[in-house]
Amino acid sequence: MKYKNDKDLGLVLCMHCMKVLESKQKVCPKCNSKLKQRDEYSYLKTLSFSLVAIIFLFPANLLPMMEVTTLGVVEKSTIFDGILYFFQTKSYFIAIVIFIASIAVPIFKLAVLLYLLYVTRYNKISLAKNATKYYRIIKFIGKWSMLDIFVVALMIVMVQFGNLTNISAGLAAIAFTVVVISTMLATQSFDTRLLWDKD
Amino acid sequence: MQNKLKNIVVCKDCALVLNKPQTDYKHQFHCPRCNALIYKFGQDYQTVLLLAITSVILFFPAILLPILTLEVLDLKQTTTLVETLLIFFKSGYVAISIFITFIGVVVPFFMLLLILSILTPLKFGKNSKYVSKILKLYEHLLEWQMAEVYMISIVVAIIKLQKMATLHIGLGLYFFFGFLIMMFLTMSLFNPQDIWNEE
Repeated sequence: MKYKNDKDLGLVLCMHCMKVLESKQKVCPKCNSKLKQRDEYSYLKTLSFSLVAIIFLFPANLLPMMEVTTLGVVEKSTIFDGILYFFQTKSYFIAIVIFIASIAVPIFKLAVLLYLLYVTRYNKISLAKNATKYYRIIKFIGKWSMLDIFVVALMIVMVQFGNLTNISAGLAAIAFTVVVISTMLATQSFDTRLLWDKD
Repeated sequence: MQNKLKNIVVCKDCALVLNKPQTDYKHQFHCPRCNALIYKFGQDYQTVLLLAITSVILFFPAILLPILTLEVLDLKQTTTLVETLLIFFKSGYVAISIFITFIGVVVPFFMLLLILSILTPLKFGKNSKYVSKILKLYEHLLEWQMAEVYMISIVVAIIKLQKMATLHIGLGLYFFFGFLIMMFLTMSLFNPQDIWNEE
């Protein structure tokens, strides 16, 4: 038997309540959601959000993330400096957690997004199963890259001793937030059904 | 045609058309082609409601009691989660800090309230269409709540700060961890799809 999808049979799936309807219907009678077989801008949205993320990845890693002021002396540190600091102070576990969350995960996510776009663009249906698997992985790990930003923000709040010691965020914090948010948006706007469509 | 539609399901990840499976409360059903979850039954509403109420109660001591006290020389600083919300209005990095507290603390709490407002009307016999809008909002927020990331980042921040100052952990932190654990439990047992499965 040949596999059939919703397009072949003229059906549409309500993405909210999972009801199957004929494709001529515009609104789901069960839950009042708008119906659409595919979002035609899905590919474009994913592509543009990924590009934004790639551009902001550079300032995020090169600019200082955190500025610690102790008695008037300012010490700036980038994400990578932070990881090195933990390695030097022998907190290997935290160092590895931060390395995975803020360097490995964003790069892995972007690589997968580009791979998904490639598979969709060139209709490599044989790779669809593999690509869907990777999509689920990046969807699951997506939010964990926010870890470092959270740490910096918490430290700013917790350490407010005026002139004695003070912590503030650097520009990289903003750039990095943009990277994480746009990769999450890129993942969210991608429709895995595009991988499986034959045309 | 109507009758035929009742007996099929469409996979939301790969759009494969399948015969509707015979489902019960014990088994899950996955798509044979892409392995997406198609049917799963969650916990009954009563359990979820009770867990949600427990988490809401834990939330208040968690944000009002001090999470930790820092000591540098003779200066002491006690932080509560409410203060982390308020301090941003004084300090410079308003945007990022508000955003982080928002997705780390406010959104998870708001989602618990959403669960309560979805399940309470259903418990009193309202139609599932009645909660459709709230349910959609809940599912949308599911990817954007970062309570678990927040929890780990508190641990990382504490380890980082231990090297800078003397640090005493307050009762609020334990309440906050309790709140987060109850919240995860609530959210993982609550299966939004159940609301549509019942026909």
